[in-house]
Formats: sequence, C-alpha cells, structure tokens
Amino acid sequence: MRSCRTGVVAIAVALTIAPALASAHETLHEVRRGSAISVKAFESDGDPLDDRPYEIFSPADPRTPWQRGHTDRAGWLAFVPDVAGRWRVKVFEEGGHGLDLEIDASAPAVAGAPSAGGGAVATAAFVLRPVVGIAIIGAVFAALVLVYRRKRSDR
Amino acid sequence: MHVPDGFLAPQLTLPAYAVSAPLWAWAARRHFGPASVESLPVVGSLTALAFVVQTILIPVPGGTSIHLVGVTLLAILQGPLAAFVCESLVLLVQALFFGVGGITVLGVNALAMGLLGPLVGWLAWKAVRPLSERAALFLAGWASTQVASLAVAGVLALQHRLDPGYFPVPPAVTLAAMLVPSLAVAGVVEGLYTVLALSLLRRARLRGVEA
Repeated sequence: MRSCRTGVVAIAVALTIAPALASAHETLHEVRRGSAISVKAFESDGDPLDDRPYEIFSPADPRTPWQRGHTDRAGWLAFVPDVAGRWRVKVFEEGGHGLDLEIDASAPAVAGAPSAGGGAVATAAFVLRPVVGIAIIGAVFAALVLVYRRKRSDR
Repeated sequence: MHVPDGFLAPQLTLPAYAVSAPLWAWAARRHFGPASVESLPVVGSLTALAFVVQTILIPVPGGTSIHLVGVTLLAILQGPLAAFVCESLVLLVQALFFGVGGITVLGVNALAMGLLGPLVGWLAWKAVRPLSERAALFLAGWASTQVASLAVAGVLALQHRLDPGYFPVPPAVTLAAMLVPSLAVAGVVEGLYTVLALSLLRRARLRGVEA
C-alpha cells in the first residue's frame, strides 16, 4: 500500500515538472508596440541608405556594440533600449558617408509623429541648404572685403 | 566623399589638424590678405558655387551617389593653397550648419578634398596645358576627383586596420565603393564642370579669372 502511494506521488511530481522541462526547449515571443526607437538613414536627396551595416551602443557599455545589423530596404533600423540614456547609432556607408548620432532614450516617443528629418523636413533642407550656404559664405567674403576696404580708406 | 564625425580615431584626426593648421595660416596670409581685396568677390562666388555643387547628389548604380567637389577650378585660378582654404570653409559650413562631415574630421576632409585633389589637378593642368587647354582642364578635374577619393578611401582603410571599431567596413569594399563611381562618373563630370565653368568665367572677363 505504501509503495503504491509512493508511486502515485512520483507520477504526480513527474507530471508537474514535465511541462516546465518541455517549455525550456520552446521559443516564445512577445509583441510589444510603441517601445522601439526607429531611425531612418537617408541622403539629402531622400535616397535611403538601404542594406547598410549599422552598430548601436548602449549607454551602459559605450565600447561594445549592443546591436549590429543592416538597415532595411527603406533605410530603417530599430532597437528597443533597455536602459535610459544616450544611445549611439552608427550607420556605415562604404563610400565613407554615414551617420554617427546620439539618441536620448529617455525622451518619450510620440506614436505616429513624423521623425526628425522626415520627408517634408528633408525636402525643405534639400532646397534651403544651398541658399543658406551661399548666404554664409557670401557673408564671410563680404566681411573680408569690407574690413580691407575700410583699412585702406583709413590710411 | 566626406568622412563623418565618429568614423576616424583621434590618432588620425589630430595629425591631420597638425598638418592643416599651419597650411591654413600660411594660405590665408598669402591669398586672403589686404592685397587680395580685388579678387575676393570672385573667389567668394566660386567658393559658394563649390558649396552648391557639393550639395547636388548624382545617383550611380549600386545604391550610392556621388557629388562634385568644384574646387579644382579655384586651384587653377588662384593656386592650390587658395583652393585648400576655400574648400575648408565649405567643409566648415557643412559641418557646423548641416551636419555633413564634422569638426573632428575637418582636417582629414580638407586635406583630401581641398589640398591633395586640387594640388594634383593643378599639376596635371600645368603639365598638359601646352598641348591642349581643354584637355588639361578636363584632366585636372578628373585627376583631382580620383586623388581625393583615393585619399579618403585610404584614410578609412587605415582606420579599419588600426581599429575596426571606428570603421568596420573592409578596405577592399571601401576602395571599390569609392573608386569605381569616381573613375566612371564623378571624375568625368568634374572634368566637364571644370572645362565649362572656366570657359564661362573667361567669357565674363571677371577680375581674378586670369589663369
């Protein structure tokens, strides 16, 4: 009778542990929306830096890449920060161009809001850049000419 | 062609600054002093033009794009050192106001795109000019682009060898990605731009366009 009871207990324990052991070999997943930071890399004319290698560095270990990969066909990469702070994202373009930026992961992400450097911003920047550049360079040379002419007239 | 901040270690960027700084001082005194007041408007306009042509990206097969540099013209008209200062100003404006290139890599970019490229272009123009002026101008633009691309690719390859953490792309990939579009497209367009721009400037008979 005692051996029968022991056998029942052994079977009950085995049945309890069995699902736990089985789940150790199971790959599970979790879908969480709105917690990732996504970055789009593109050139000033709007062309995406697609399929380019990137590295992401956590503020917890700024020397070892926390994530490596390639941007997708539209130039996007995404990561889910596990600590608050400034995360560094580097996107490499074989021709030497690329990105090296820091992203504050503690800033609240606004779902659905266009990212900094989105399409409209990129278009405006593309148009404004030559104009602003000409203005700055023109101002530098105009200042030089004015200074030299004033010096000459002072003599 | 610009190397961005963060892609090169201080062991490369600091020596580049050490070489560039005295050259900037010497070139500024020589080409941008009070005696140059008459030519400054033209030089300023050509510098602004170089800025504009560098913002125009030309797509090439392979998913990348190229742009002109536009300062070989300045090297031919005012000398390679003047071109070096003008290109450095362009790079500084791009870094400070538009996030292109960067401050830590300014010396490297300026030496590659502002000095080595235009210097070789100017030498090529001097050598071939007695045979044909147009061929010399085209060759100057083409050679300038190849040398600048090779210099940037060489620095990136050196950085990969010193510490791939800064730039993990293998040198063979970098060299191919930079030199193939440069040899096939960018150099040709830069050569044509140099020929066309100088012929237009000469027709305009502006001061400072005596080369």
